[in-house]
Amino acid sequence: MIVCIAVVGHQNNPLYIQSFTEADDALKLHHIVHCSLDVVDERVNNPKKSGPLLNETFLGLLYPTENYKVYGYLTNTKVKFILVTTDLDVKDADVRNFFRRFHAAYVDAVSNPFHVPGKKITSRTFAERVSTIVKAFGLSSAG
Amino acid sequence: MEEYPEELRTPPVALAALVGCSDHHPAISGHLHSLQPPMNVLALPDFSKVQVVLARKAKDPAAAGDHPPGGILRRDWLLKHRTRVPAVVAAMFASDRVSGDPAQWLQVCSELEGLKAAARPRNVKLVVIVVQSSSADEINEDRMIALRKRAEVDSKYLVTYTPSDALELTQSLNRLTNTFVELANTYYRDEGRRIKTRVEKKSFSSIELNIRYCFKVAVYAEFRRDWVEALRFYEEAYRVLQEMIGTSTRLPPIQRLVEIKHVAEQLHFKVSTLLLHGGKIIEAVTWFRHHNASYKRLIGAPEAIYLHWEWMSRQFLVFAELLETSSATTQSISSVAADNPDRGLTEWEFRPAYYYQLAAHYLKKKRSSLDIALSMLVNANEIDGRAESVAPSTFVGQFSRLLEQGDGLSFQPIDDEEYIHYALAEGKRFQDSYEIIALFKKSYESYGNLKVQRMGSTCGLEIAKEYFSASDFTTAMQFFDNFAQLYRQEGWVILLWEALGYSRECSKKMGAVKNFVESSLEMASLPVSSDDIQSLGFKECGPAGPPSLPERESIHKEVLELVSGESGIRSVEESNDLNVTEGNPLHLEIDLVSPLRSVLLASVAFHEQTVKPGASTLMTLSLLSQLPLTTEIDQLEVQFNQSEYNFTITNAARPQSTSKITSGQQNNRVEIAASLSLVTNKWLRLTYGIKSEQSGKLECISVIAKLGPHFTIFCRAESPASMDDLLLWKFEDRVETYPTKDPALAITGQKVIQVEEAEPLVDLNLGDSGAALVRESFMVPVSIVARGHDIYSGELKINLVDVKGGGLFSPREIEPSTMDGHHVELLSVAGAEWEDESKKEADKINNIQQSFGLVSIPFLKIGDTWSCKLEIKWHRPKPIMLYVSLGYSPHGNEINAQKIHVHKSLQIEGKNPVLISHRFMLPFRRDPLLLSKMKAVSENNQFTSLPLNETSILILSAKNCTEVPLQVESLSVEVDEDCAATSCSIKPGSEDLANSGLLVPGEEFRKVFMVIPQVNSSTLGMGTVLLRWRRDPGSGEQVSCIQEDSVLTRHKLPDVNVELAPLTITLECPPYGILGDPFTYFIKIHNQTQLLQEVKFSLADSQSFVLSGSHNGTVYVLPKSEHILSYKLVPLASGSLQLPKVTLTSVRYSAGFQPSVNASTVFVYPSKPHFKVADQRESRTESVAAK
Repeated sequence: MIVCIAVVGHQNNPLYIQSFTEADDALKLHHIVHCSLDVVDERVNNPKKSGPLLNETFLGLLYPTENYKVYGYLTNTKVKFILVTTDLDVKDADVRNFFRRFHAAYVDAVSNPFHVPGKKITSRTFAERVSTIVKAFGLSSAG
Repeated sequence: MEEYPEELRTPPVALAALVGCSDHHPAISGHLHSLQPPMNVLALPDFSKVQVVLARKAKDPAAAGDHPPGGILRRDWLLKHRTRVPAVVAAMFASDRVSGDPAQWLQVCSELEGLKAAARPRNVKLVVIVVQSSSADEINEDRMIALRKRAEVDSKYLVTYTPSDALELTQSLNRLTNTFVELANTYYRDEGRRIKTRVEKKSFSSIELNIRYCFKVAVYAEFRRDWVEALRFYEEAYRVLQEMIGTSTRLPPIQRLVEIKHVAEQLHFKVSTLLLHGGKIIEAVTWFRHHNASYKRLIGAPEAIYLHWEWMSRQFLVFAELLETSSATTQSISSVAADNPDRGLTEWEFRPAYYYQLAAHYLKKKRSSLDIALSMLVNANEIDGRAESVAPSTFVGQFSRLLEQGDGLSFQPIDDEEYIHYALAEGKRFQDSYEIIALFKKSYESYGNLKVQRMGSTCGLEIAKEYFSASDFTTAMQFFDNFAQLYRQEGWVILLWEALGYSRECSKKMGAVKNFVESSLEMASLPVSSDDIQSLGFKECGPAGPPSLPERESIHKEVLELVSGESGIRSVEESNDLNVTEGNPLHLEIDLVSPLRSVLLASVAFHEQTVKPGASTLMTLSLLSQLPLTTEIDQLEVQFNQSEYNFTITNAARPQSTSKITSGQQNNRVEIAASLSLVTNKWLRLTYGIKSEQSGKLECISVIAKLGPHFTIFCRAESPASMDDLLLWKFEDRVETYPTKDPALAITGQKVIQVEEAEPLVDLNLGDSGAALVRESFMVPVSIVARGHDIYSGELKINLVDVKGGGLFSPREIEPSTMDGHHVELLSVAGAEWEDESKKEADKINNIQQSFGLVSIPFLKIGDTWSCKLEIKWHRPKPIMLYVSLGYSPHGNEINAQKIHVHKSLQIEGKNPVLISHRFMLPFRRDPLLLSKMKAVSENNQFTSLPLNETSILILSAKNCTEVPLQVESLSVEVDEDCAATSCSIKPGSEDLANSGLLVPGEEFRKVFMVIPQVNSSTLGMGTVLLRWRRDPGSGEQVSCIQEDSVLTRHKLPDVNVELAPLTITLECPPYGILGDPFTYFIKIHNQTQLLQEVKFSLADSQSFVLSGSHNGTVYVLPKSEHILSYKLVPLASGSLQLPKVTLTSVRYSAGFQPSVNASTVFVYPSKPHFKVADQRESRTESVAAK
């Protein structure tokens, strides 16, 4: 299950962060997302020499915490997507697929002429679409 | 890791025992210790001891197989093999005893028998050492064989040991070592094999034994340094242990799990150590991950849950320490991680910091569950009582009650409840808080070394929280403030809220009013919108509560009440309240980088960029606050860099406070505003007029807002044009408005206004006088006309600047670079009117330097004029820029009155007036043989060569290159002083030049000189040409500015090479010929040397002449004499005719000579011409024409 999804801007500032958990651990998720930016930095600064593709947007598993796994994705405009999930056995393909759909939703949201680039995303449509994608991810990984 | 016993932490070391001959033990054991790998030695002085050592242990393995085991691993088994059960026993006998009398021999035999009996059940290997006192000692061969047979050892295990001499000692020690190592390996291999067969044949009664056997095989393998097998069996043991988790029923459930975890921990530790020592860091990390995944869920019974967390924490801590000490970690982590992307390992999993962090995290979990467990107990004494005399039992991970039975001790199993009590009592003894801080600190520092900020700050935040809960508020606050900065920078509002909430609570507890108000105001102004709370249930946000708009409002209210003095907040640590009163006023400062900018942002914009003095302009002061509630400001004080402009704005709605404040400040302007209330995210704009008198910069420095009777905020003023966005609010989607009504002003507005100086009403004129000529004193007239101002204390500054210098105005900057050697010089400043009163004003000339002049101007009334002339002299042709600036004050009485400046500039070209050139000529038809000319032409071509003591002709010409006519007064050559007058005589060819010395532009002036060098020198200075000239006075308008004196231009003539010509040839023929009239053509060869000169000559025929004389031949010219070749020529044609060509060759110098075409031409008249001899001048022209 995805517990948190975040969009992080150029100055490592949160543009959109949404947790999908009943428990009161939203703050912890904020911390986890924030910490994962270190890994993103590390990956971006020391790219894998043997990596399959140079301009791969999917960063893979960033780090495992005690109960969560954190995945990252870097768009070509250097906006970071962070995904926190509680599933311990996640297929990379599912995560990639999720990020692709999420990226599409993000692109649509920032293409809104009333959206100012670099500001937080406050669109309700985006939020709804994200929660749909998140739910769909739960189904696909379960099945 | 330190809590593990040493035998577990270090790799096993083989053990050997020495019996008998105790005086030799230290040498042997020392040698065995120094081996690589070392071997430990158990030194037993006599044979009775060895039976005790071996026999006592011998009972255990026999007992093991019979009844079901009480546990998995024996606690002391490893230690036993490390320190008590040797692999090899060496019996040492002195040689004299072996070969001694039968009684001694019998004793030896009986000792050996006893040893054999003790060693055999354990399969301990036996070595017999015979100690020879000297190498010469003969041992009875029969006795030796008998001894070997008695001992039932192979002949090679009967070793002689000769300590007497060094060489022998080394050899015997080496022999011993080889034997020991071999036997020890055999022993451990045999033992390992023995147990391994049990594992392979599955000949064990219970799963516990399976694990135990695997463990033993692995340990034996480790003894043999067979790491691969050791690893395999440790892993096997670990795997079997996992199978046991669900199935074992031997112990009560809690203790069962505890035992399994303890054993798993040991096995895991061994596996990790072996992997890391083998450099297999990836495998080690993967193994740890596997270990973690297998046991993480095995929480166990709820009442013992803290044991699980403690255990988990220990796993992480131990692995972190292993990683840290392992040499394998030194290699590049990122490359390791990069090479194995498929395993899904991430960068941090190779870092100890990650494990320390999680160890601390689990320890926190342990503490909280331990607290719960403790609180569930009715009273604390109960545990202490029931936990008494519980101790670790013989098996790893088991605990039991220790009972004294007579003189021995026995273990009695305990039930789970008792165990829990024991564990709680143990847990109470530890200060988890310090441990947690230490772990987080390690992690924090480790991340810090890796420059991993955010992970580090998360750890730091945890440390701070620990300090906070331990009531160490000072330390906690430092940490919170540190990390708040990072969150602030990156705009993580919620995390910032948490940190600030703690910080605020800390300052509240410490009674630090200022910090409390600051963090409260910052929190209240954070961009936490109501949207966030719907999705975020923030219970963990600490003392601040969940971030939400109502929370912000309540914080704001609280702080407002505090600063208005309405209420105080009770601080915990100190008895006094947290309050703001008259005796304890509060003053906050907000600068350009302060996080409190969102609390109060002051922008000041002047409506104009510049203003004339005395004119009035408008200034808009705009204030913005992001505080959630409307804030009423009592009073605003605006401060400028010129304090007389400061003014105060008071709130009309709050009259009582204004009166009090104004009384304190005298004669300052006070404005009253109808309302000074700050609404959230809405600019409060106030516009006031400012009238400036003094020219210069007027800048608004700050705005001080007074919010309560004793609370002020000092806010630095910002220009709207250069104002940064609010750090946190810039990411928010909010309505953004301009600080001023006029949007253009919001973009360009500045908090600084330039007050101009008054318009000058004085004319400054520079006369334009065309190009200047080098070396003349060039005059530039300057005139000052006071049109509308009186001129008091006027000063005229003159700067000469190189045009190429790029318009540098300041003389100080350009002086060193362009004025080197002073190509252009400001000589003086002279003025007609000024000179009249020169005595009075002379001291007022402050400074005239080569490129800079400062002249003071006398007082001028309106309508007066003053003029002067600048005298400038060029030494080189060069264009310059002349800058003249006049500074004066229109009012005489004020000392520090504002000066008014007028600037003028003029570019002046400096030119060379004349171009002087020269030419040397030899006399007509007279040619000296100059040897230097014959040398390679290219080599020494600089100097013109002149013959010594011969007359040469120098023609000097001066060409006017200016655009004005020049009058040449004289042209002469001045011989240099260093060359004596005798060295060379230069005489003008004619007495005086023609009376018209006027040179129009482009015209050339020539003069001829006779030069007779008298010194033989290769570099003879010819002197300097002196040309005296002046501008032609007739040429009109510039008369006024050009000085009347004539100017002397100097031109240095190049040096010449003077040498004695050995031969001089003179061709002589009449000036003209007449057709058919014969004349004589002489060729005179003059030998100037002391040598006989042989000269070959030849004369070519010419069709224009009939010639008599020898065509060719050789003549010998005597020293210092002259030889004349004479020819009679009869011209056959008329006109300018070529004489017969003469070629002369000096044999000595192998130099040929041919006269030039010019020199061998003669004009032949058809008949005898008739000249009027009377006219002298005519004849001269004639002769010139003949040339």
